[in-house]
Amino acid sequence: MFSSTDTNNKRALASSNIRGDRYEVKRHQKYPHALNFYSVPPTEEITIDEFEGFAFDRLQVLKALEGAILRNKSEEDIKDIDKKLSLPLHSDDAAKAYPLEEERRKDHISHFILRLAYSRTVDLRNWFLKYECALFKLRFIRENKEERLAFLNNENIRWKNLSQAERELMREKFTKEESNACSITYDDELFEIDFEKVPDLVAKRAVYIKEGKAYVPTTEQISLVMYEFRQRLAKALELASKSFITLRNERIMPMLDEIIKYDGRTQTTNNYSLIDNPNADNLAEHFPLCMQHLYQNLCEKHHLKHFARIQFNLFLKGIGLTVEEALAFWRKSFSEIDEAKFLKDYAYNIRHNYGLEGKRQDYKPLNCMSIISSYRPNSGEIHGCPFREFSQSNLSAKLVQMGVRDEEHIKEILNLTEGEHYQIACTKYFEITRGLSDKNNDNVIIGTIEHPNEYLNASVSNEKNRMKMNNKDKMVNK
Amino acid sequence: MDIDEPEIHENSDEDMAVGPSSNKKDDKEHNFWKNNSNEIKANPERFGIEESSMELLRVFYNRFFPYKTYCYWLNYNNIEMNKSFQNREFNFVKPGNEEVYIRYLSFDTIEEFKNEVLRVCPKKIDIGAVFTAKPKEKKSLKLSALKPVEKELVFDIDMDDYDEFRTCCSGATICEKCWQLIAVAIKILSAALREDFGFKHLLWVYSGRRGVHCWVCDERARKLNDDERKSIASYLGVIKGGAQQTKKVHLYKNSIHPSINRAHKIIEKYFEQVILEDQEVLKDKQEWTKVLDCIPDDNVRHRLNDNWSDNPSKHSIEKWDNLLEELNSSAKTTKNQKKADSLQICKIEIMLQYLYPRLDEAVSTKMNHLLKSPFCVHPITGRVCVPIILEECENFNPMTVPTISSLYNEINDYDRRNVKNDRERNLHDYEKTSLRPYIKYFEKFIQNVLKETLAKNRALNQTSMEF
Ligand code: SF4
Ligand SMILES: [Zn+2]
Repeated sequence: MFSSTDTNNKRALASSNIRGDRYEVKRHQKYPHALNFYSVPPTEEITIDEFEGFAFDRLQVLKALEGAILRNKSEEDIKDIDKKLSLPLHSDDAAKAYPLEEERRKDHISHFILRLAYSRTVDLRNWFLKYECALFKLRFIRENKEERLAFLNNENIRWKNLSQAERELMREKFTKEESNACSITYDDELFEIDFEKVPDLVAKRAVYIKEGKAYVPTTEQISLVMYEFRQRLAKALELASKSFITLRNERIMPMLDEIIKYDGRTQTTNNYSLIDNPNADNLAEHFPLCMQHLYQNLCEKHHLKHFARIQFNLFLKGIGLTVEEALAFWRKSFSEIDEAKFLKDYAYNIRHNYGLEGKRQDYKPLNCMSIISSYRPNSGEIHGCPFREFSQSNLSAKLVQMGVRDEEHIKEILNLTEGEHYQIACTKYFEITRGLSDKNNDNVIIGTIEHPNEYLNASVSNEKNRMKMNNKDKMVNK
Repeated sequence: MDIDEPEIHENSDEDMAVGPSSNKKDDKEHNFWKNNSNEIKANPERFGIEESSMELLRVFYNRFFPYKTYCYWLNYNNIEMNKSFQNREFNFVKPGNEEVYIRYLSFDTIEEFKNEVLRVCPKKIDIGAVFTAKPKEKKSLKLSALKPVEKELVFDIDMDDYDEFRTCCSGATICEKCWQLIAVAIKILSAALREDFGFKHLLWVYSGRRGVHCWVCDERARKLNDDERKSIASYLGVIKGGAQQTKKVHLYKNSIHPSINRAHKIIEKYFEQVILEDQEVLKDKQEWTKVLDCIPDDNVRHRLNDNWSDNPSKHSIEKWDNLLEELNSSAKTTKNQKKADSLQICKIEIMLQYLYPRLDEAVSTKMNHLLKSPFCVHPITGRVCVPIILEECENFNPMTVPTISSLYNEINDYDRRNVKNDRERNLHDYEKTSLRPYIKYFEKFIQNVLKETLAKNRALNQTSMEF
């Protein structure tokens, strides 16, 4: 699959993924459906570029799904997430407009690369399983009824179906309210299934359960399909993990390593600034919470400690402040410190951050990952990411102070931080404070905040958009 | 594990088990699991077993504890001891004023278990999951080699959760009146577990003070994974919300699940007696406000409140009738269909809020959760955690459950009276005391469970012969 010469790889990858006979892999001349249970691994050869590109594109989709789900996005919000990020997958009826074969091939191959890369540890496997399921689910829901049925038939998936007579018996037994609660319409199919296979429906009391059997209507069929998909993929991952150990290939291993390290989006370049004439004070309202916190402290105490200074200074640099502007800003802010001390103790560091002193290394503004985990603040230090470092009560007080008033919103953010999803909490906070959290807003951002400067840019451009809209409204009103 | 050493609490222990479970009062002690201190200590006054009761406890373990039946139960087989017992995690709490847990115990034989119990004389025994290997060999195993694979599905119902409206007693006390709250919960939960999930072997056990545990022993229940346990707990979790939430049940008039309907029918039989007569939940303003808070209409609430404030001495039953009338007539007169629906369903919501089982979900959802064992002795009341006969749960009286000291007296009396009576020498000690019916019931229960494994094994053997 990966290079024209390395037949070993081909086998290793193939054998790692299928239950069946590893040599009798059928070549995919055609993908009959957009949906895929990924039971047959690809066997064709692909270039290194494709390998990386496919994997990264899929990973981006899975990461975006993670963020969206953790932020409680509705099914409607995420239904085209894969199409928006370069992993489109269209149904047959779109054959004229899109290269279906190509899309499906990419979907197929990228799944198998990630499957292998993520088979290594339990945590990776669980993560992959979870979001592959989410991806499959949204795609399944997206298909029309005929297409779903054709796909299931093709995969040979069937469930025990109650006969008309059995359904009639039920109809006699149930009140109307009971039938409603169990979503039973007696003229449509009703599947009988062990209750263990549909835990989500059991949990919601959405189906009738009797003596260990759940009675699942066609409207809830997705649960059954997801059970099949999850079971198969879990098993396949388990198998892949075993073959992973035996897969010692110098070409592939480092690439797989890279994939796992990759954080789901292209690294932002050094130049973060979208802003003309940057000025820290004017932009303060667009700062993410971590920088707000530092900024407020700086305004009140006219001082910041070492790491806080670095964190903030690099952020300013990311905004686009020149070293002179930065020096001026700090000089002004450290108003209680005399000139000599400032020059001696602080100016050097500021210039250092800009690569003008010492090793002359041009430091990049810190991204969220490093703010969150690299230099955790000691007592008395205030840098770091508030979503991680603040106690629940302090954080909720802070949120209220910043204008988050809705109890539900606060609870949601606190839950995310408790689950250690700091960046997602931050993204949620962004959406809430910018009025983007309601569903019918087109400006919903899909990804997760990865960088404070990215946050700032998003905030600024969001405001620009809003102003444009307002102007348009005004024009119309005139 | 050498149990004479002080117990070292390792960080890694946390993911092995979710802390011992018992009633809510013990919640504080859960936190101790998070400490990194060498020993786990709790308030000595609360858990203190004095020297004299130590002696009683020793007598209890010596003469009354049903070792054989107990071990066969956890073994699910009375022919030879197997993994189900040998890989089972036990957790002893050492006697004495401090809470010192001895974790990751496991035993190969009944003898070994018995000897250890007699030697340590634990003031509490917790039962955990069956693991992929012997928990006692934990030190020499890779962490990944010790995974929970099976455990009974368990439920915990505690009087604590009823305290918001319980009027007959408060705190740790319990009487026949409030026992009825638990009894109704047992009936509803048993019906759901049997009829909906098809489970047959439900062992209900009195926790020794103010709660009950249910051990579902069917093989299918033991094999459930955590997600499946969670789904069942959620299916059965109709009461939602804590102290900050006044209305805890939300239903839709046009959509009532059969299992809710069944619960409602059971509740209808008891609501008047248990809630209106015994608990008198509409007796005075403070109480009735809690009921009125569940009504989704200000006018109805005010009218009822005014009415009752004028005639506070009306009996709760009469007030309840007022309430039903108000709900009915308001539902009829309102033009808003949604409002009418919510008023009509409100009666059922209130009834469920008061009598539907209040479950401690955390206990049920983790296979790895430790739960206090049957036939333990409650460290404060000294009562034995005896099984409750499901069919007679209404008549169960927690106040008459034998304590270790009552048993001690009974057996001494018996011995004194029957010094020369050789005929009864073959009797087990428990048969000479009020513990007898409980152990008899336990034995019968276990026999039924074992019969099933036996039948299954036979079937297995047969099929393997056919091949
Ligand atoms: S998530 Fe990133 S941008 Fe948001 S507060 Fe934390 S560090 Fe700052
Ligand atoms: Zn009472």
